[in-house]
Amino acid sequence: MATDPSPILVLDNVTGGYGRMTILNGCSFAVARAAITTVIGPNGAGKSTCFKAVFGLLRLTGGRILLDGTDVTGAAPRALIAAGVCYVPQGRNIFPELSVRDNLELGGVALGSAGAMRPKVEAALDRFPILRQRASSQASTLSGGQQKLLEIARGLIAAPKLMLIDEPSIGLSPLMVKEVFATLQGLRASGVSILMVEQNARSALEISDFGIVLETGRTRLTGTARAILDDPRVARLFLGADVELD
Amino acid sequence: MVGLLAQVLVSGLAIGAIYALIATGFSLLWQGSQTVNFAQGDFVVVPAFVMLGVRGLGLPLWVGVLAALVVSALVLGLLFKRVLVDPMLKHGSLQLAIATMALSIVIQNGLLDVAGGEAFPFPGINGGIDWGQIFLDWQSLIVLAVAVAAVTALNLFLGRTRTGRAIQASAQNPQVAVLLGIDVARMILITFLINAALVTLAALLISPIYLVKFNNGIGIGLSAFSAAIVGGFNQVRGAVVGGLVLGVTETFAATFGPDQWRDAVPMLLLILFVLFRPEGILGRREERRV
Repeated sequence: MATDPSPILVLDNVTGGYGRMTILNGCSFAVARAAITTVIGPNGAGKSTCFKAVFGLLRLTGGRILLDGTDVTGAAPRALIAAGVCYVPQGRNIFPELSVRDNLELGGVALGSAGAMRPKVEAALDRFPILRQRASSQASTLSGGQQKLLEIARGLIAAPKLMLIDEPSIGLSPLMVKEVFATLQGLRASGVSILMVEQNARSALEISDFGIVLETGRTRLTGTARAILDDPRVARLFLGADVELD
Repeated sequence: MVGLLAQVLVSGLAIGAIYALIATGFSLLWQGSQTVNFAQGDFVVVPAFVMLGVRGLGLPLWVGVLAALVVSALVLGLLFKRVLVDPMLKHGSLQLAIATMALSIVIQNGLLDVAGGEAFPFPGINGGIDWGQIFLDWQSLIVLAVAVAAVTALNLFLGRTRTGRAIQASAQNPQVAVLLGIDVARMILITFLINAALVTLAALLISPIYLVKFNNGIGIGLSAFSAAIVGGFNQVRGAVVGGLVLGVTETFAATFGPDQWRDAVPMLLLILFVLFRPEGILGRREERRV
């Protein structure tokens, strides 16, 4: 792949938190283009908070966030969507009473009329045949894994350059986790950059190109996913090497 | 007998369709901003008095309707949200619900003070269709048609337009709606304005039947509240079904039983549903996240 070596996203010494509680204490890292980058770290390290910081949901007290070289620090979600970022948070993020198709259409609600979104919705349904089968069903009737696919598909309606995805595997069956991960790999192949937080760190790193280790709101380590996987300290602290069962 | 049954059914459906309008607004406020509005019945009485007041100045009814719409949008929509709902909701939806009970008392006593305690007549439509055995009054038929058209239009708006879907998305999952770039605060404001329009329309339709009295809101509010519970509190379609069920049951009870039964029906249905089917006819069980 012809690669643009400049990163799609840069966090430069970002600090911030909720109220008086500081979570990010100078978090810095870069996210490569058309690659999967996974952030790991213990609970409370600020992994999800990082995503919120990027997506304009956190008041920053310092630092900068650059998207494609442009300063987007503090930009609102609407502006970020238009600039090509989508955010799939942890947990269930569907609109349960709306149909699968309506859920998808809302992925582009900030960008244009429902009519303008229709071809994109159709393209998303082509990409996810399981969603096409259920296009008219209420989204709440989908399985957990299908709902996660729906969230990813909804994110794609806005044709993002960068997808932030937080704990996509949580609560899913192993089979569904595989499918979700395969979907992310497919997105990477089509040029989307992915920044992922994942509890299931080992499996996530195995499909990732790069890894970032966060601890107490600071970047501890960055490197290729392979290097992170092979790092004995990381293995002991975050990948459960000592209690490995399989 | 057939004639009587048909007549009771149609007037029951007509009343029920009005309840459906009021209950729909009630349910929208709940879904959009966790507002249980115990003053919803009084919200119907306020525009009715505005219409009567404008008429009292010798102006035609449609001017009164327009004036009532404006007053409702400003006072029962915007002001209600900004002055009561927004500050109280910070303390919790129960606290807000109690504040709306207080508002109900304020509205009733305010109206009593300004307009007095009598029941004022409201212009309606006379006559009907006479098929020998069956007589159907225009009033009920028109009320039914208008209410059904309004509910249908609202459902199309909510289901088919971008703004409507954004309103639903904001109600169902506000955190995610924000992430998709939806202006959730604006969608909630629109919900309050829709409710203001619904109660104004309900006022126009129900006043010829129930007349206009300062404390009519008590009964109307109870019926609409029961309709929302019976149909399914968390579903707009539920409010429609609940309203119709309630209107028909009430009217049958009042026709074939002692008149006081009319007032007992909503309470009775409310109790039965809360006991045996709390999610209502169409509702789904609420997920409680811990």
